[in-house]
Amino acid sequence: MTRNVIEQFKPLFEPKSVAVVGASTKGGTLPNVFIRRIREFGYTGAIYPIHPSAESIDGLKAYRSLGDTPEPVDYAYIAIAAAQVPPLLAEARGRVRFAQVISSGFGEVDEGKELQETLAAAARAGGMRLIGPNCLGIYTPRGRVTFTETAPAESGPVGIISQSGGLGTDIIRRGLTRGLKFSGLITVGNCADISANDLLEFYLADAQTRVIGLYIETAGDGRRLFEILRGARAVKPVVILKGGRTRQGRAAAVSHTGSLAGDDRAWAALSKQTGCVMADTLDGFIDALLAFQALAPQPRRPTRRVVLFGNGGGASVLATDQFARLGLDVETFDKQTVDELARLKLPPGTSITNPVDAPVGTLQLEEGRVAEKILAAIYGSGRPDALVMHLNLSAFAGRTRTEVLDNLVQAALRVQARYPGQAHFVLVLRSDGEPALEERKRAFRARAAALGIPVYDEIANAGAALAALAFHERFIHARPRDS
Amino acid sequence: MTTLTAPIAEARAAKRAALDELAGKRLLASFGISVPKSVLVQDADAAAAACGSLKPPLVLKVVSPDILHKSDAGGVKVGLEGAVEVGDAVRAMMKHPAMENARIDGFLLEEMAPAGVEVVVGGLRDPQFGPLVMVGLGGVFVEVLADVAFRICPITRLDAEEMLDELKGAALLRGARGRKPVSREAVMDVLLKVGGERGLLMTHGEDIAEADINPLIVSEHGAIAVDARFVLTQ
Repeated sequence: MTRNVIEQFKPLFEPKSVAVVGASTKGGTLPNVFIRRIREFGYTGAIYPIHPSAESIDGLKAYRSLGDTPEPVDYAYIAIAAAQVPPLLAEARGRVRFAQVISSGFGEVDEGKELQETLAAAARAGGMRLIGPNCLGIYTPRGRVTFTETAPAESGPVGIISQSGGLGTDIIRRGLTRGLKFSGLITVGNCADISANDLLEFYLADAQTRVIGLYIETAGDGRRLFEILRGARAVKPVVILKGGRTRQGRAAAVSHTGSLAGDDRAWAALSKQTGCVMADTLDGFIDALLAFQALAPQPRRPTRRVVLFGNGGGASVLATDQFARLGLDVETFDKQTVDELARLKLPPGTSITNPVDAPVGTLQLEEGRVAEKILAAIYGSGRPDALVMHLNLSAFAGRTRTEVLDNLVQAALRVQARYPGQAHFVLVLRSDGEPALEERKRAFRARAAALGIPVYDEIANAGAALAALAFHERFIHARPRDS
Repeated sequence: MTTLTAPIAEARAAKRAALDELAGKRLLASFGISVPKSVLVQDADAAAAACGSLKPPLVLKVVSPDILHKSDAGGVKVGLEGAVEVGDAVRAMMKHPAMENARIDGFLLEEMAPAGVEVVVGGLRDPQFGPLVMVGLGGVFVEVLADVAFRICPITRLDAEEMLDELKGAALLRGARGRKPVSREAVMDVLLKVGGERGLLMTHGEDIAEADINPLIVSEHGAIAVDARFVLTQ
């Protein structure tokens, strides 16, 4: 089964040959752009433009139909008028494995529903599997194929399925800024043939993928989604961003149960029964994926006790409240830890219990290396499950050199290394939007991300991401896989 | 197997959109869920005569496909102690204005459940996910506060336990405010019999659009389904 699904989708994620339908001799169409993008992205397999009359397109020899290429095609990218797509597919004579139909005008509009049926039938007649229609493409770094202008060349552990093409682009671009690395991202649109469920099965089996993200608007076969996720037993974290979760009309409901069941109830149940994490916003989705990419879940000891360390007293008090609402404890330290911190004789104004509020004056002691002593005391006796280091860059502005920030992070990493597997380490870089500060933050975030540290804009975002991780850990803790 | 599906098959044959209370309880009983001992009678004399086989106090309920909310329609009388009271109660109920235009299939005379905490267990066919099972605490908890937990069927024992933990009123089952704790195990058993792997909803999910066991009365020792409603799929 695992073997089969990997074999089945390999030509999609690592196509040896690509056909492109809709490119023009004059250039400038989306398919022309696609040809340029995959070449720039380093695609080295054969590219076959399909065109009714042209000899060549973008310097590549063109062919009349999908059935005429010199070798079978692993992946066909199709962006032509909706009505022209079914006849095109029907001519493929079993020589195309996957066709992704970018064109819209199918099932997403009432007048296109019938055409979508025709499209699916044509794909069957042509002997191929169909992705879309009404989508944007696939980004697969292992296959050197991308539909986006900017995409990380490096593969990573995060596999994404997005029902929306535009949101798929957002996920790649924002993810790039945040340090997310993908095993693939596929936009599936109307799912006339291949469903999000099919690709979920692929990512679950795929060795490159450790974390899975889904953006879905309609579950299609929700029952199968439930069964796949239940069967997977949270072997990989799955984060779901669900569009349209609000209560749908159940006007006909006559029982209590019927009137109480909004659409959202089933999704909440899905999460509780399968361990998948439900995200409410795009940022929350990316925040959670980032935590799962960077942090190894600790199901033996689900995350609960969090230490907040950084500058910003009010911010850490607010965060303590928010963390409590998320089921995370920012507990005060016991006497031993407090005594050890007191021995460091930190400057007045430094809190020596949790949350550890350390003003800039404290954080820049020994060029930031003071953090190592503080955190060593905390890790030694406080035994946190997670450490959130939050730095308000506004307060550092004009007072410290960049090295201090790096030294703070390096100090934390040294303590982390001394206590392997004890605490998840996340970094929050707060700023006020001032351009020079934003630039400094961006550069600092990139350096931290390169070290594998998940970086968040606000403590609240880090809290929600840690809560997602804790939820996953608790799920496995309560349902151990070896039982 | 035929006996299991009989109440649904009979309702389908009679082209009814829902199971009446007695049929609903037969369906529950066939899945091992406790229901009160009861007798269906057609008139006051038969009701009075049936008293001998039941242990008072008794409750009398009208059975009618036209009456959805029996209490509101004057179709429930509780605390009946003997044949005379039961006979009078049937006669009084038949004269109630809400009964005049309703089809009356009879009257259900049944033993009253011992006191306990009222729980609601429900079921639902979700268009995307198939059968869902629900639990909540009775009265205002369900009706006003919507304090309920849903799961997709089939549920495991751990799912059932987590459903109860999820309720804001969960403490009531544990014996809040000086009361004796009631049996959480009994509620979990009912949840599994309704929503578990071989439960009612996994067996008949195609036929059941909505289900309510309301109330399920839970005591220290067990749980008993005092009223049940099943709406069939179209």
